[in-house]
Amino acid sequence: MSEVLGEDPEVILAERRYDAIARIMESAVRKEEGKWTFTDMLDHVFLHRALGIPLFLVLLWAVFQFTFAFSEPFMVMVEVFFGWLGGLAAAGIANPQLASFVADGLCGGVGSVLVFVPPIFMLFLALAILEDSGYLSRAAFVMDRVMYKLGLHGRSFIPMISGFGCNIPAIMATRSIESEKDRMITILVNPLISCGARLPVYVLIGGALFGAAAGTAVFSMYVLGIALAILMALIFRKTLFKGKPAPFVLELPHYMVPTAKTAILHMWERGKLFLIRAGTIIFVVVVLLWFLSVYPWAATNGGEIIENSYVAGLGKAIQPIFAPFGWDWMTSVAIIFGFLAKEVVVATYAMLLGTGEEAVGDTLVSMGLFTPLTGYAFMAFVLIYVPCVATIGAIWRETNSWKWPVFTMVYLTVLAFVVSGLIIGIGRLLGYT
Amino acid sequence: MVEIRLSDMAVGGKGKATRVEGTGALRRRMMDMGIVRGAEIEMVRDAPLGDPVEFLLKGYNLTLRREEATNVWLELEG
Repeated sequence: MSEVLGEDPEVILAERRYDAIARIMESAVRKEEGKWTFTDMLDHVFLHRALGIPLFLVLLWAVFQFTFAFSEPFMVMVEVFFGWLGGLAAAGIANPQLASFVADGLCGGVGSVLVFVPPIFMLFLALAILEDSGYLSRAAFVMDRVMYKLGLHGRSFIPMISGFGCNIPAIMATRSIESEKDRMITILVNPLISCGARLPVYVLIGGALFGAAAGTAVFSMYVLGIALAILMALIFRKTLFKGKPAPFVLELPHYMVPTAKTAILHMWERGKLFLIRAGTIIFVVVVLLWFLSVYPWAATNGGEIIENSYVAGLGKAIQPIFAPFGWDWMTSVAIIFGFLAKEVVVATYAMLLGTGEEAVGDTLVSMGLFTPLTGYAFMAFVLIYVPCVATIGAIWRETNSWKWPVFTMVYLTVLAFVVSGLIIGIGRLLGYT
Repeated sequence: MVEIRLSDMAVGGKGKATRVEGTGALRRRMMDMGIVRGAEIEMVRDAPLGDPVEFLLKGYNLTLRREEATNVWLELEG
């Protein structure tokens, strides 16, 4: 066919199609030459050589302000509500094991997952508004150069940055990336972007060990996370997902005022996936962790003495792995619980040390659990190792296979050991203990 | 007639596409988006960091990386 036509049939087809369109356009559409449209004016500002990037950053900041400022009161409400429900159940159920299951297992567990619902829905709402307005394509246009250098696509930028808030909506936001390879890389490195739940751990350890330099120590965790994400993205691009980022052929649509109905619909469509998951896999893991922390029932005195529980036994059993880092069994228990949600590390220390959360830092120091070096290595470990169960659930759902969540857990755990080991090793070479 | 690559066009430059090089999905995608022989394309602006590039064609705004735009040849107008 190509020989007869002297050209690829596809080319002929595309040309004829556009010829037909042009003829119809000529007879049907009246053009207003040279007139500036609303979109032209906005693009002149939003895509301006000097203003484009600062404006993008300002909008991004606004999205996060909106997401986290608006969701915070709702998060507190979820926590308070489930705490109240748990207290009610504990008081109303005569059988202590059943009471503990309902109060700590069900209410505590479901609460610890549902607390993520407000930020997830708020971020999706903010992104839906940006998308419906037509700006999201411009954001990809503005940032593509940077992302391309990192082996990613312009559309990867928003999901990556969203990870600073919470990795779950960030991973779910990768749906806007068309190319499967680009999307997979963005999903796999996303847990390295330090989410909000890790901050309490940094603040606890950094604040207890580094005094005036605590801010720098905490900030360095974010930098470390970004550097590792870039490094892993480049490695994945060279190994698992060979090839270049997808071509950038993107229409910039006209700007439009988003309607409340479509924005809320978009938010709901994406957010409900998290709710479904919270009701299944995440819930099972949460209940399992509850079981491990209160049984054997008699030995833990009904969940009071966590040191005698299965999870403490597990912590002591795996502690030798962490011995080279100078971490004791409490830290390995904290690491196990961190799988639930990273901020649970702080609560775990409070439980194990028998102090309030506000006194944990001082107790850690006075008990000599960490030196600045081992503490810093622990901060890095918490940043890198297996992300929380909800994030694993998100990766499972988004990649539609068990392979990738398992792969993510394995590679992140290996990376955590390597980086923490390097910190300890280099630190000791420099004479720190 | 001078023929240049779309990627070499200056801001404000206009031309008529003469051919689209390349293979497979990318070429098809570009033609689906209206980059066909005879299409009038105007360079609108670079992205703030120099790449990708925004064009006006068939009354809508299309963005391509420079790398993609090297596949398109056009003859300059005016």
